[in-house]
Amino acid sequence: MLAYATRRVLATIPVILIVALFVFSLLYIAPGDPAAIIAGDQATPDDVERIRASLGLDRPFVIRFVDWLWSVLQGDLGNSIFTNLPVSHMISQRIEPTLSLMVLTLTLSLSFAIPMGVIAAWKHGTLIDRFVMLTAVFGFSTPVFVIGYLLAFVFALKLDWLPVQGFTSISHGLLPFLRNLILPAVALGLVYMALIARITRATMLDVLSQDYVRTAKAKGVGQRGILFLHALKNAAVPIVTIVGIGFAALIGGAVVTESVFAIPGLGRLTVDAILRRDYPVIQGVVLLFSCVYVVVNLIVDLLYTLFDPRIRY
Amino acid sequence: MIDRRGLLKGTGALAGAIAGSVGLTRPSLAQGVDNKVLRFVPQANLANLDPIWGTQYVVRNGSLMIWDMLYGVNERLEPQPQMVESHEASPDFKTWTFRLRPGLKFHDNEPVLAKDAVASINRWMARDATMGVPIKRRLDALEVVDDRTFRFRLNQPYPKMLFALGKSSTPCLFIMPERIATTDPFKQITEIVGSGPMRFRKDEWVPGSRAAFERFAGYVPRAEKASWLAGGKRMMLERVEWHILPDAATASAALQSGEVDWWETPVSDLVPLLRKSPNIAVDIADPLGNIGALRLNHLHPPFNDVRARRAVQWAVSQSDYMQAVVGDDPSLWKEVPGYFTPETPLYTEAGGEPLKGPRNYELAKKLLAEAGYKGEPIVLLVATDLAILKAQGDVTADALKRIGMNVEYAALDWGTVGQRRAKKDPPAQGGWNIFHTWHAGADCVNPAPYIALDSSGDTAWFGWPKSDLVQERIQAWYAAPDLVAEKQAIAALNQAAMDHVVYVPTGFFKGYQAWRKTLTGVVKAPFPIFWDVSKS
Amino acid sequence: MSATSLEPGSFTEAPRLPDVLPPAKERGKVMGFIYRHPTIVIGGTLVGIMVLIAIFAPFLGTKDPTALAPARRTREPSATYWFGTDMLGRDVYSRVLYGSQVSLLVGFSVAAIAAIVGTTLGLVAGFMRGVDAVVMRFMDGLMSIPPILLAIALMALTRASVKNVIIAISIAEFPRVCRLVRGVVLSLREQPYVEAAIASGTRTHVIIWKHILPNPLAPLMVQATFICASAMIAEATLSFIGAGTPPIIPSWGNIMAEGRALWQVKPYIVFFPAIFLSITVLAVNLLGDGLRDALDPRLAKRL
Repeated sequence: MLAYATRRVLATIPVILIVALFVFSLLYIAPGDPAAIIAGDQATPDDVERIRASLGLDRPFVIRFVDWLWSVLQGDLGNSIFTNLPVSHMISQRIEPTLSLMVLTLTLSLSFAIPMGVIAAWKHGTLIDRFVMLTAVFGFSTPVFVIGYLLAFVFALKLDWLPVQGFTSISHGLLPFLRNLILPAVALGLVYMALIARITRATMLDVLSQDYVRTAKAKGVGQRGILFLHALKNAAVPIVTIVGIGFAALIGGAVVTESVFAIPGLGRLTVDAILRRDYPVIQGVVLLFSCVYVVVNLIVDLLYTLFDPRIRY
Repeated sequence: MIDRRGLLKGTGALAGAIAGSVGLTRPSLAQGVDNKVLRFVPQANLANLDPIWGTQYVVRNGSLMIWDMLYGVNERLEPQPQMVESHEASPDFKTWTFRLRPGLKFHDNEPVLAKDAVASINRWMARDATMGVPIKRRLDALEVVDDRTFRFRLNQPYPKMLFALGKSSTPCLFIMPERIATTDPFKQITEIVGSGPMRFRKDEWVPGSRAAFERFAGYVPRAEKASWLAGGKRMMLERVEWHILPDAATASAALQSGEVDWWETPVSDLVPLLRKSPNIAVDIADPLGNIGALRLNHLHPPFNDVRARRAVQWAVSQSDYMQAVVGDDPSLWKEVPGYFTPETPLYTEAGGEPLKGPRNYELAKKLLAEAGYKGEPIVLLVATDLAILKAQGDVTADALKRIGMNVEYAALDWGTVGQRRAKKDPPAQGGWNIFHTWHAGADCVNPAPYIALDSSGDTAWFGWPKSDLVQERIQAWYAAPDLVAEKQAIAALNQAAMDHVVYVPTGFFKGYQAWRKTLTGVVKAPFPIFWDVSKS
Repeated sequence: MSATSLEPGSFTEAPRLPDVLPPAKERGKVMGFIYRHPTIVIGGTLVGIMVLIAIFAPFLGTKDPTALAPARRTREPSATYWFGTDMLGRDVYSRVLYGSQVSLLVGFSVAAIAAIVGTTLGLVAGFMRGVDAVVMRFMDGLMSIPPILLAIALMALTRASVKNVIIAISIAEFPRVCRLVRGVVLSLREQPYVEAAIASGTRTHVIIWKHILPNPLAPLMVQATFICASAMIAEATLSFIGAGTPPIIPSWGNIMAEGRALWQVKPYIVFFPAIFLSITVLAVNLLGDGLRDALDPRLAKRL
């Protein structure tokens, strides 16, 4: 187990390096010029040139890449071009909201989706099954921001039950924390819920059609409950896979949700940085997301071996 | 052997620990007493806080709280002494001596001295193209006379010195401690030590999301009543929080539900909705409004030919632009067949015929043909992330198509537009033919802060108009001895600028601001003013 | 003839059994298909309708979708403007109908490109061991960057145009196809009939074409429909953020993006494209579901 884990961890290093190279070169070719934006509306072309030089934006590619990589390894992600604050500081300010949103979304989605999938599998072929699946498909057919606006309109503006926007840290109390995050989590979670419900149902169906299950069913009622749990355990592998893959989709949805609900998270930070071409921030954040994703996949792979000892690579 | 249950438990604990530790390191926002905290939604993100280095309006607006100025313009744009106690100007306007008020302090409790003023002035002069640079060019010496006195020695007269020191157009002359003001003007300052009524809480700053300002107890306001940047800046609030909400629908909902108190730039279509709420007040933000601008590239065909530029004047409809920009409320906009701000003493319509009245597409097409336009693509840079600019861009594309021009609509963001408009290359090779912007009305009342009117060619603002006649007439205004002469000079200038088509004004428009009725003291100005505002 | 006669030359009628089972319902071929695969039919029909709308948009009572008239801005839906006008006075109905062209084009193109590129790379990686390691590392790297961020970043590099949006989203989607196809190829390589083909000297491209390629076609088709749906949503998200199709070409995404600030007072600007987008994405997803169920129920587990 340990050997496998070590090998797996080592295998992620070249992947991360490739991501780093990718992220860095992506922006190197970018035509936008942050120097012009910084110079401002009343600047002369000379001002713009001077700012470019002072930001070091005119050095060759390899030097900039190695320079950057070396600093990153030492924990220095550079300073934002626009705010002059250290990128690591900006990221640490915004991790908590995004992390909270993700965790809450994941919890909500899994809590609803897995039972939904199980019920649909149990009542396979009936109206309930069709209904659950249809709801699931609706879930990932509507854009997240439309759902977000609708929820905000109904629950926050009209009914006044919940706040329209913002984020309250959990350190200020569980209830205010939940009040701010529940609408964004639901908006974001619908997509995720749909995916997980479908995969749960499909896997459960597959497992339930196996011979040993049929035998047990034929034998009598008492066995059913135990077998469902057993079936669920076998369904764990694909479910965990989807959770891992869906994580990337979550990040994408989080960008939009953070925008609609004004949550000061990493998603918005990244989008703002990309559109403004704030290179150090973009590099830092995309690298961070990718590392997180790689780690998530790593955990998923390691979890596989827990759920199914047959899986060894 | 880790079993599944143990792993899940462990993960939960780890997650909890991470959340907890992040909570500890995250700056906790002080929850002030509610009626002493103002939550404000600014027009844009506060990305940095160096008002000399970065000249966006939103940076200037924040800086107005943090730093004080030597002079400050009042409601009539007349400079009034602020940090200065008295001044002396030589009759030839070449020597200016200033004496600072006693008891002025920085936020680190150090006294404000003449050397701080001198260092701040030097930094400002390097970056202010409209007034600072001309002063610098005439400067023989800027010297510290004693702790509270400093002197300008110019080799040519500069009568508008007080206005330069107190103007509200960016960059404003903010007074910073000497050690900070000696930072290269092309690099951001790293330390923020203010001289104004509010202290910036840098430890609470989350760029893109939130900024906080706290009252500085050591600030001594002047005795006079406040009027824009003049008079006593008395803070009634303990804390001002800026919440950055780029999504207009979210900002509107937040204002309605009371989560924020003041919205600087409500979208005009949402104003009727806001007005319906009994708790919200809506009014014109700035009586001096803004002038929209269609900026032509004078360096390359077809707009290097004045006839092609005039064709644009005859084709565009200011009412289309203005309705697209501000919506259905006619009280919010005016046509402006000229370059100067309406409802100000120097406003004139001399020479503005091409922009008045019904559009003349036939004449425009004829002028285009005369100029030799044969259907080459016209590169139109549109910043789609700023509603005002996108609206103008869409209307321009439509208007030019009507006179048979081949428009290449380049949908970009404001940052890229900023970079591309600086290029003098031919449009087909990374340059441009047209871009849009707007100028605050306060910056268009006369030629002094009016960078967009300068027609010196190569050193002019983006577009590089060149007209010796326009430059002559600008100088004529500077030389005008009284208001009557000024008006004549401006009329002549307007005529010349219109004939030459320095740029095409797209109209005059005002914006609203909206605030909850728990706030009293909100005034109309080109920038949000936080002193004398209180909350019940 | 007597039923019980046993003489040669006479044959006995089979005894008529009593009716124990009810008669099986006789369904015609079409109805039978619909009954068995309702999702394919519903999904396919809706998609078909959308495609027809896209093709025949100019003839369905539409005006020029880019003609602006600020004097007529933000009018409610009425007899003249069926879906109302937007903030520049453009007819929302026309924009939505023309918008279907862009959104569908993006969806189908991305699905096609991702499928073709992904399959090619997957085949190459599956077949050639040496290339496999490099290609898969590269794919892992690409897949590690969340697709939306990758697409936004790619869009930030270039001008906004429909073509660039298609390319950006395709780049974000093809790695998964590659992985899928590679997986199939790897598992097939070991099959006896493939080994036999290689041993008997069949050329590689013939092996690929005849023996390997037919296998992933079913899951590939299903995957392609899901990519199509996700690409349409991605286009809407990119436009929402401001990095999508240029506003001068209406697409459902950018109609919604332009109208979002006014959504509390003029909800129809966001509402109509949202409905069209949701229905289309739903239809494509249903189609994919149905295809998957029809082609191979075992696929349900893997997808």
